[in-house]
Amino acid sequence: MPEVLVVDDSKVMRDMVVACLRPYPDSRFTQASSGLEAIEQLSLKPYDLLVLDLNMPDIGGIEVVEFVRGQDHLRDLPIIIVTTRGDEASRERALQAGADRFMTKPFTPDSIQGAARALLEKNPAEAPRG
Amino acid sequence: MTGNGEFAEFLPAYLAEADELLASAQKDLLAVEEAVRKGQAQPRAVRELFRALHTLKGLSAMVDVEPVVSLAHWMEASLRLADQAGGRLPESSVEPLVEGLRAIELRVRQLGAGKLASPAPANLLERLEALGPQVRDAAPRRARPVTLDAEAAFASRLAPSEREQLEGGLAGGQRALRLDFVPSSERAAKGLNINTVRERVAKLADIVKVLPLSGAAAGGASLAFALLLLTRAEDAVLLDAVGGAPATVRSLEAPAPAEAPPADLGPDGAAGLPGAAVLDEELDEPEVRRGGGLLRVEVSRLDEAMEWLAALVVNRSRLTRAVAALTQAGAPTRELTAILQENGRQLRDLRSAILRLRMVRVGDVLERLPLLVRGLRRATGKAVRLELDVGDAELDKAVADRLLPALVHLVRNAVDHALESPEERQAANKPAEGRVRLTCHARASGQLELTLRDDGRGVDAKAVAKAAGAPVPDSPDALLDLLCRPGLSTRQEATRTSGRGMGMDIVRRIVVEQLGGELRMDTRKGVGTTFTVCVPLTVTLMDAIVFECAGRRYAVAVGTVEELIDVAGVVRPAGADGVGLVERRGAAVPLVSLARLLDAPVDARAAGQDAKALIVRQRGEPVAFAVDRLVGQQEIVLRPLEDPLVRVPGVAGATDLGDGQPTLVLDLGALGAARAGRRKRASRAGERVS
Repeated sequence: MPEVLVVDDSKVMRDMVVACLRPYPDSRFTQASSGLEAIEQLSLKPYDLLVLDLNMPDIGGIEVVEFVRGQDHLRDLPIIIVTTRGDEASRERALQAGADRFMTKPFTPDSIQGAARALLEKNPAEAPRG
Repeated sequence: MTGNGEFAEFLPAYLAEADELLASAQKDLLAVEEAVRKGQAQPRAVRELFRALHTLKGLSAMVDVEPVVSLAHWMEASLRLADQAGGRLPESSVEPLVEGLRAIELRVRQLGAGKLASPAPANLLERLEALGPQVRDAAPRRARPVTLDAEAAFASRLAPSEREQLEGGLAGGQRALRLDFVPSSERAAKGLNINTVRERVAKLADIVKVLPLSGAAAGGASLAFALLLLTRAEDAVLLDAVGGAPATVRSLEAPAPAEAPPADLGPDGAAGLPGAAVLDEELDEPEVRRGGGLLRVEVSRLDEAMEWLAALVVNRSRLTRAVAALTQAGAPTRELTAILQENGRQLRDLRSAILRLRMVRVGDVLERLPLLVRGLRRATGKAVRLELDVGDAELDKAVADRLLPALVHLVRNAVDHALESPEERQAANKPAEGRVRLTCHARASGQLELTLRDDGRGVDAKAVAKAAGAPVPDSPDALLDLLCRPGLSTRQEATRTSGRGMGMDIVRRIVVEQLGGELRMDTRKGVGTTFTVCVPLTVTLMDAIVFECAGRRYAVAVGTVEELIDVAGVVRPAGADGVGLVERRGAAVPLVSLARLLDAPVDARAAGQDAKALIVRQRGEPVAFAVDRLVGQQEIVLRPLEDPLVRVPGVAGATDLGDGQPTLVLDLGALGAARAGRRKRASRAGERVS
């Protein structure tokens, strides 16, 4: 039962992401409204997938990725970054920081589901529990 | 909304969030403009404005609203540069940004009204696109003296604008602090997590940045958050807000050579560093309100609840009648009567609870006024300050939606007509900047009183009298009456801002006739004018059919009328009992003369060719009510004649159709039934109507 953490300061956006991923069998969703809350959540409970908005107050997606990748137990946590047109430069930085996939708004349910599936089923035997 | 149908169901949520984002963007843009005029940087507002637009752009892309995407895109592109330049914008950039926001708002409104968003104006897009280079050129690159303790402040992890904000705060006399919070499951269980900590600290300080720390930087904990703040609050207060130890607070100010380095506080969290007292206004963070468990509900759902309540009320009156009949028949009904009374009270409480749900904060309603005044300032060249002191008063949304245009007009008049030019004001020994102040408070009588005061030239009674061709009025009320004459304008020609369109007559019509309120004016030459508006806190709205009968106008709720028919197909005209028959699709329907029901004198001439009948269901059976003439259909504000639970059968209330005359709103079903009952009692035979 994959645990998915969806991070965005826009409630509508979080709901959209959850609606897109809901058909993935048995997944469970936790929502966080800021990068800080995401980091706090990750320290309290293991997750299988992190879906992260780039542009948030206090600390953005890139800083979350940098922080996550600096933690031993989170080094392999799959991360999907959700970006918007205009974020191209940050996208490059996020990639360097260790994000796995990008979804650019507008994306379709199929495309983000495909990305999640690819990351979650990469190697089920070694599925990272971050 | 086309293309991306997948997210069509998110449209209402999108509209609600877009509204919130636009409201905060407007506030931030005003703050930015204020700073630009003073030649200051406003890093926080620039960053927040950028973020709001960026979020709006992404959301709009998801629901496929391309015009908003492109407008937001070019606006945020320039703001991104401004953020990198330490929150500075050239003055020339403010106007296009204001226009851009307005254009986005217009398109969101269009979507809300079920229309397509119109394409973004190419000319505006070009101007927004051209902002980027302007912002870049305007960015000053001056070296500032480093006053931050680079290590404590993680200087390498801060954006230039964030460093500048901290340094600027220090220069402005605030304290720059680093507050470390250590999260844990136990603390989270007690409601102490980074979100709540952030909210609490935001009441005490400007949060410039929050950084997650791990390893050595976290001081041994697996995770800590460093909040970099500008504040005047004391350390103990800050530590308390984050749950005390193991939280720590330290200064970010670079130590002056002679002084000892700032010491870390012990784990007991005792206050060590001196700090100014907490300022009251710092506790008043508007953001906090948002978080407080708010729920957005479509008004139509509340109306639905109100309709169910109305059905309950109707049922209760049937019950009351049934109990009265039982009592008359000698049954022991004392307990039943007591329950019924209790039930009546509960229904009244439920009704006021539902009405309370429709209340909106007056402050939120007036959110747009500062932007309006800003536009007027530019259009008229007058210096004006708008002061809003509206407190926590609340108002029914239906009242607020009607009242706002009237207030907008009064504010516009105040700036456009009442306030003098800066030169005139200085010549009259007044401050160059004019003042318009809007205050409001709820009165115990279920009314809201709003006062709009300006310190302008006052209303010239002689000029008004001359323009109206009337004698000079001898009282403020008489002067207001003159001002409210339709079409009156004391200006030789229409000004660009006030035009000649909506005059004081419309303001009065909205306040007095539509809302059943009061409008008063007090004016003193050279000192200023005060308008006082009193409106009821709530009203009931309905779509109504308006018709004439026996020389009077009446209204009836559209929902209750099944059909409108010509009475040309009368099978049998009304006899002495006022009941005839009319044919509808091959079936005979009882035809009741409404004039007779209302005990009005029947004018034979009035019931001519225009005569129509309204078909209403009465206990499931159609009944036609003959009226003299249809006037039309319109939305009305229903004013109950008394407590809705003890209403006159057949009369739902009164309304004003804009002609200044009270018009009765009828409930034809109940009216017919009540009369039929009366007739039945009078002669046990006639059962034709029921």
